[in-house]
Amino acid sequence: MSGTYDVVIIGGGMSGMMAAVALADMGRKIAVVSRGDPVCCLSTGCIDVLAAGNDPLEGIGSLPDNHPYRLVGKDTLTASLEMFRTVMSEECGAYVGDVNANRRILTPLGRHKVTCLVPATMEFADFHSDEYIHVISFNEMKDFYPNYITSRYKNSGCSIFDAGISTTMSIAERFENRQFLEAFISWLKGLDIPEGRIAIPAVLGMHFAVNVYNEISVELGRKVFEIPTLPPSMPGLRLFGGLKNALLKRGVDLYWGKEIYSVEKSGGQIEAVTLAGAGRSARVQGNAFILATGSFVSGGLHASMDAATETAFDLPVYLPGKRKSWFNDDFFAPGHAIEKSGICVDQSFRPVDSRIENLFVCGSILAFSEVMKYGCGHGMAIATGVAAANVCGELA
Amino acid sequence: MIKTDVIIIGGGSTGCGIARDLALRDIPHCLIEKGDFAAGATGACQGLLHSGGRYAVNDPEAAAECISENMILRKIGIKCVEQTGGLFVRLPGDSKRFRDMFLKSCEETGISTEVLSPSRALELVPSLSPSLEEAIKVPDCSIDPFRLCMLNITSSQKRGGEILTHNRVIDIIREHGRCVGVKVQEESTSEVREIRGKIIVNAAGAWGDNIASLAGSTVPMTLSKGSLIVTNHRLTNMVINRLRPSSDGDIIVPNEAVCLAGTTSITVTDPDSSDVDPAEVDIIATQAQQLLPEFVTTRLIRTYAGVRPLLKADGGDDRKISRSFKIMDHKNGMFSIMGGKLTTYRLMAEKISDRVMEALGLKTRCRTAELPLEGQEELSGYPLCNRLKILENIVCECELVTADEVEKVAREIGTRHIGDIQHRTRLGMGPCQGGFCTYRALGIMQETGKMTPEASMQVLREFLQRRFKGIKPALWGDQLREEQLVESICLGILGMEQGQ
Repeated sequence: MSGTYDVVIIGGGMSGMMAAVALADMGRKIAVVSRGDPVCCLSTGCIDVLAAGNDPLEGIGSLPDNHPYRLVGKDTLTASLEMFRTVMSEECGAYVGDVNANRRILTPLGRHKVTCLVPATMEFADFHSDEYIHVISFNEMKDFYPNYITSRYKNSGCSIFDAGISTTMSIAERFENRQFLEAFISWLKGLDIPEGRIAIPAVLGMHFAVNVYNEISVELGRKVFEIPTLPPSMPGLRLFGGLKNALLKRGVDLYWGKEIYSVEKSGGQIEAVTLAGAGRSARVQGNAFILATGSFVSGGLHASMDAATETAFDLPVYLPGKRKSWFNDDFFAPGHAIEKSGICVDQSFRPVDSRIENLFVCGSILAFSEVMKYGCGHGMAIATGVAAANVCGELA
Repeated sequence: MIKTDVIIIGGGSTGCGIARDLALRDIPHCLIEKGDFAAGATGACQGLLHSGGRYAVNDPEAAAECISENMILRKIGIKCVEQTGGLFVRLPGDSKRFRDMFLKSCEETGISTEVLSPSRALELVPSLSPSLEEAIKVPDCSIDPFRLCMLNITSSQKRGGEILTHNRVIDIIREHGRCVGVKVQEESTSEVREIRGKIIVNAAGAWGDNIASLAGSTVPMTLSKGSLIVTNHRLTNMVINRLRPSSDGDIIVPNEAVCLAGTTSITVTDPDSSDVDPAEVDIIATQAQQLLPEFVTTRLIRTYAGVRPLLKADGGDDRKISRSFKIMDHKNGMFSIMGGKLTTYRLMAEKISDRVMEALGLKTRCRTAELPLEGQEELSGYPLCNRLKILENIVCECELVTADEVEKVAREIGTRHIGDIQHRTRLGMGPCQGGFCTYRALGIMQETGKMTPEASMQVLREFLQRRFKGIKPALWGDQLREEQLVESICLGILGMEQGQ
C-alpha cells in the first residue's frame, strides 16, 4: 500500500487523530501513520484541559509564555473541544462538561481526579461527599478494590457481582451480552440500595457503553456513574475506538503498525516517507506532514544516558539539562523537569532550527507542554492538533 | 518475656546462618531482626557465590574461604545456588602480568581454572565483547540471598527457634557488667518486650557498632557502600568478571530473570546509606558495556545500594581491605562478628557458634556443611514452566504471581509489610517494578483484614516513593517510558498527587 496525500500525519494518538478529523473536514486527503494503538487507550478517557484552578479556559492565560496553549489561544481551544465533542457523539461516545468549569471525578483509590470533559458514563462522578454512594464491584476483579473507596466515605456501601471472570476487558465484553446485562440489572434491583448514587468500575461495555449505561440508569431510576480503572481502561479504549471510526468514515487512510525508516527531502520540503512494519513497506507521499508522535511514553522521543532524540525526523530536541536534573526526588511532586523536553515550534507550529517548511508539530511532543504538571493531557493534544491542522490546511 | 540461651541480633545471612547452626546443635535461640530477613548488605549484594578468583591475587585468605564454602553451598543449597560458572575476561589493554599472577594464585588457593580462547568464550557467552583477548573459566555461581536466609531460618523454626522480624533492639540489659538480655520494640505496634539469654551474638552487619554501643562496647569497622544496577533481562548466563585488580563496575551476575551489574565502593559513616548517585551508575554502565557491549541499549530497571561491613581499615582504598572476617569477644557475654562475605556466611556462623558452645561449656559439633538446607523440596525454583502451571488470577504479570499466593503469604506470616510479600513471592520484581501490581497486592491484603485501607494507601505512597528512588539514578531509554506511564497511572488515574 502506498499513496499520495495532501497531509500525512505521523502519530495516531489524540493529537494526530484530531488533526486528521479537522483536515478531512476541510476536504483534504489524509493519511495517518501509527506504530500501534496510542497511549490514550491507557487513559481514563477524560479530557483534562487544565487541572489547576476551576476554570481551565481562564487558566491558560496564566501559563508560561512558552506553553503550547499560548500558541493555540482560547478561541481555537474552545472550538477544538467542541469539534471533539461533536465527533464523539456521532460515534456513540458522547462527552459532557464545560470548558469553563473543571469537575472532580472519583478514582479507584477513592481520591479525586480533576478533569474537564468526561464520557457521559461519568456525568455523575462529581458528587458531594455527604451523599450516599453504593459501590459495585465484581468477584475477584483484579484491578478494582472497593475498600479503597468505601473506607474514605463513611456514607457508603458495597456489593459484589459475580461476572464469572476477573479481568476488566472480559467483564466489559460480557456487558454487551443482553442476557448478562439483564441478569446484572435484576441483581442490582434486588439489592435494595438506599437513596444515593451507584458507582461501577468502568466495565459497562466495550464500544456501546452509553447504551448499557443508559439502560441501567433508567431501569434503576438512579444516578449511576463509572469509575475509571487501571489499564486496560475501557473509557480510554472507547475514546480511541470512536476517533478511529470517525477517521475511517471520513476516508482517512490508516497505516497502522508502521514506522518511518527513511525520509525523502528536497530543499526545505519533506516529500515522502517510507514505512516499515509487518507486511510490505509503503511509500507515502505528502504535500505537508504533521508530527504527532507524542513524548517518551509513546516513543516520539527517546532518551539515552545523557541526551534525547526525536525518533521520526531526528528534529532537534529541547532537553532541560543533565540527567541528574531530569527528575525531582519526590515522585509525587508535580512537574519533573524532563516533562519540559520536546520540540520547540514557532507561531505556525513549525519546528524551529530544522529548516523544514512543510512539517508541523502538535501534541505532547511539543516542548514545555508539561502535561502531568498542568493536568492538560488530552485537552492540549486536541487543541494543538486542530490548531496545527488549521495552519497546515491552508497550505496543503 | 522470652527466655532463651542465645540471642542473635541481625537477620542477614550471618544471623540466619547462626540460627541454623545452633538449631542443628539443639541450642535454644532467638533471632531478632529490625526489618525483614536480608534487609541489609545480604539483600543488597550482587548475588554472587564467589569462586574466590576475585580475591586470589590480593587476598588469598578470603579466596581460600570462598572456594571451600562455594563447594559446600552448591551441595547443600541446590535450590538457591545456580551453577552458572564464571569467566574472568581480559580485554585489550588489561595487564597480562596480572593474568599470570591470577592463574598462579588460583592454583595455589585451589580454585580450578581453564583458559579459553576468544572464540570459545564467545561460544559460551555470545554477548561478550568480541574484542576480548581471552577468558579464564572459574567456578563462580549465582545465589539468591533472600531464599538462602529463608532456608536457614526454616531449620531454626523446625527446632523451636524464636524468630522476631520487624523488631528493633533498643537496649541491651546488663547485670553486674554482663549482658543478660535485650529489649526489643515491634515496628508497627511499638510494643516493647524483654528477651533474656545467656549469650548475645551481634551479627548486625553494618549496624554492628550501633548494637555494641548499647552494651558500652565498640566494633571497629569500615563501612563501604556498593551500588548496583538491575537489567531487565539476562545478558549472560555466566558470571562475567573483568580480569584485572578489583575495581568499580567489573562484575555482572545473572540472577533469575535479570542481571546485576556492579559495584562501586565508597566509604560511608551511616549504615543506612542507600542513595545511588547517577555518577556511580555512569561508571558501572560504562564498565559493563566494555564487557557486554549491548549493555548500552539494555533497559535498566532499577539501582540499589548496600553497605558492606568491612574490617577496620587504616585509611586508603576500601577495595584493599581483606574480605575475611573476625570474631570479637567483648568479655561481657556478647560476641560480635564482622567482615566476611555472603559466600562465607556459613563458615562465619560455624566459627562464632563454636565460640558460643565453648562459652556455654557444650561440645556438640557443627553439622551445617553436611546437611542440605531444609525446605528446598517445597520451592518451585525459577524455571518459568513451573510458574506457567498456575496461570489463574495473575496479579503480577512480570513475575507471574497469583492472587492466591499473595493472599496465602499475607495470611501465613500476618505481615503488614508489602516488602515481605515481595520477598516471598517475587511480586513487583520485574520490569514494571511494582508499578501496576502493588495497588493490587495491597487491595488483596486489605481483603484479608491484615491491613486497613487507610494504612494500605499510605504503604502504596511510601512504596512508590522508595521505588522511584531506586529507579531514578538510571532513568533513560525504555525504562523512562515505563516510568512516565506509571506516573500517569498514579497521578492521572489514581489521583495520588500531593495535597489530597
